Amino acid sequence: MILLQSPSRFLLQILQERVLSGEKGMDIDCHTVEFDDVRYHIQFSMRNPKVMVLSVALPLPPPEAILHDGLPLGAVDAIKATYGSVVQILDPPKDGFDLTMKINLTKLPPDEASNDLFVYYTPEQRNAILTQIASIREVVLGAPLKLLLKHLASKTVAPNVDKLVALVHRPNESFFLAPQADKVTIVYPMRFQDSIDIVLATSFLQEFVEARRTAALNNVPSCMWSPAPPLELKGVPADALNANAGFVTFVVYPRHVESKRLDRTVWNLLTFHAYCSEGFMHTRMRRRVESLIQALDRAKSDAEKLKKLVHGASFKRMSLKNEGDSRI
Amino acid sequence: MDALSRPAVVIDNGTGYTKMGFAGNVEPCFITPTVVAVNDSFSSSAPPAARGAPAKGNWLAQHSAGVMADLDFYIGEEALARSRASSTYSLSYPIRNGQVENWDAMERFWQQCIFNYLRCDPEDHYFLLTESPLTAPETREYTGEIMFETFNVPGLYIAVQPVLALAAGYTTTKCEMTGVVVDVGDGATHIVPVADGYVIGSSIRSIPITGKDVTQFIQQLLKERGENIPPEESFDVARRLKEMYCYTSSDIVKEFNKHDREPSKYIKHWGGIKPKTGAKYTVDIGYERFLGPEIFFNPEIYNNDFTTPLQVVIDRCIQSSPIDTRRALYKNIVLSGGSTMFKDFHRRLQRDLKKIVDARLRASNNRLISGDPKAQPIEVNVVSHPIQRYAVWFGGSVLASTAEFYEACHTKAEYEEYGASICRSNPVFKGMY
Repeated sequence: MILLQSPSRFLLQILQERVLSGEKGMDIDCHTVEFDDVRYHIQFSMRNPKVMVLSVALPLPPPEAILHDGLPLGAVDAIKATYGSVVQILDPPKDGFDLTMKINLTKLPPDEASNDLFVYYTPEQRNAILTQIASIREVVLGAPLKLLLKHLASKTVAPNVDKLVALVHRPNESFFLAPQADKVTIVYPMRFQDSIDIVLATSFLQEFVEARRTAALNNVPSCMWSPAPPLELKGVPADALNANAGFVTFVVYPRHVESKRLDRTVWNLLTFHAYCSEGFMHTRMRRRVESLIQALDRAKSDAEKLKKLVHGASFKRMSLKNEGDSRI
Repeated sequence: MDALSRPAVVIDNGTGYTKMGFAGNVEPCFITPTVVAVNDSFSSSAPPAARGAPAKGNWLAQHSAGVMADLDFYIGEEALARSRASSTYSLSYPIRNGQVENWDAMERFWQQCIFNYLRCDPEDHYFLLTESPLTAPETREYTGEIMFETFNVPGLYIAVQPVLALAAGYTTTKCEMTGVVVDVGDGATHIVPVADGYVIGSSIRSIPITGKDVTQFIQQLLKERGENIPPEESFDVARRLKEMYCYTSSDIVKEFNKHDREPSKYIKHWGGIKPKTGAKYTVDIGYERFLGPEIFFNPEIYNNDFTTPLQVVIDRCIQSSPIDTRRALYKNIVLSGGSTMFKDFHRRLQRDLKKIVDARLRASNNRLISGDPKAQPIEVNVVSHPIQRYAVWFGGSVLASTAEFYEACHTKAEYEEYGASICRSNPVFKGMY
């Protein structure tokens, strides 16, 4: 499993280059894709080199997840709260996308060299804002999760929220939240396509739950795995629960979502995938094979090695004496 | 959405830099150095077995330390920065001279490329990887194995770099798929004739002078002149100076004179900070600016073992190709690879090559008896385009955005049916062998 960072590297790279490049204009028009079918379309035009038009397409929502105008609950508010005047949402979004935004880089905090004596921003601060723009995925998709967890931090239940909330996890798949005043239970149905993957993932997840029990990890959210849907998911339509690698349940308590930890918790819960575990297994398997071969090599007796050498000699060495003997 | 409707992932692993991105774009998303920084503090200095300690616990500790070390690595610029900052990371370059040497590091590199840089799920995308024309089929098999087994890709195509470089020129200049690709990378230099999209395998030439040699030559010149560069950084500094300031001269003697007459105009300064002490230092760079790239045209100034200039090798390569393709080959000589990016490189190459070709033509015309038809002059054309640095990647991007690409791919179903041997054959080489 591999932990991904929240900002998209590619977006961040483009934004940083653009901010540093000064007034030089160049057309950029590119599409890029992220895991779970999140698509980005990035456009810069010659005329407005400091204005980026960013369109985002979200994963196809499963039927049980509730959306508001094609966006998750509270996404628009979250965008406004996070970016302020830098970002302007264009309505309606571009064809084939769920959200189109205009990002005005001139409204970013200016350089140190700016004439404005009272506003003084360091490059680090500006970078932090760019990083936030690059994490647009977290802001939009994580908005409902953040909302619920914020209420958890203040130990209340969000008003007008159902007992069980379905959120978009992957295209046509959802994960479920059961918010309560003192804890939030989060359940992920795990699905895999490949039959080998199902077996590997099942054992991996069991190991994962086992690892949680070690003493060093006492404070992390508790974690369970079960092959059948847990009790919290009563009343959910059956086709949303056809997980073939079991269900993973996390229980998040208020201490996990204290002010600073909130963002990280949101992102980690939002992108819970068992990615890439197979790669590590292969690496370890290869290393094991190598060490076993080495052990076999060592186990060969010296005589065996010698025999090989003698066998390789292609002619018999004759001394003068032998030659003499043969003549006689 | 299925994998066919998503853009394919194109990764061009070069010795020096890796270019990666999604098909259909003009530029790769990332160009990063092909390097992996591995934390080897666990594996090399495993704690000696403490006496009396339970053997099992010790084994377990070592095992989990090994697991952690497996997870603790970086690639690209990050790797360079990490290894500079602390000595617990050691750098490993998975590709050497265009061939994969360290598969473990290569797999880790791909893993980071896919998950951390491109941030895509490899199960959702077709993949296009590249290889040098001299790659052994076994290597291709191994690549296929890693891609299908570890990353579970739905389809894979392993393309030959020079053909992609030609395909890149195809869209910009509307020329044929016939031409000579002069691919000067960081670790390998190949001259590959391609006729109608098929590589003429028997005429491939490779020369031992590469981008890395240019860097080493500059490093050596700087050292001999006594520039004050910290030794641990000198290769890196030389590489950066090469990328920023080097250019190709038309005449080496004239260039020396120019530099001597107006040193202030030609000598550049470069400032750096010593990593250990933090003190500042400056480097002057003068003759190195044009002497670096000169080793392609006059290799004897660098290396006594190999003294055939690039233009002569290209000429011999074309002369060994089938006779009916030669004129077309001379007409379309395509540059690719980062080390052809020196200013005026293509002009110099075209002039020098034309000289050889014209001399031969004149000689053969002189041998003719009067009245015989004379040979037509041969058109020599070295094509250079602005995307030369990642021409191979761009060619891959173009190729992978066509509908035919998905049909030419080796698919996961095929892999499961026949095994890794499906990757041995490459449609581009078919018919030539």
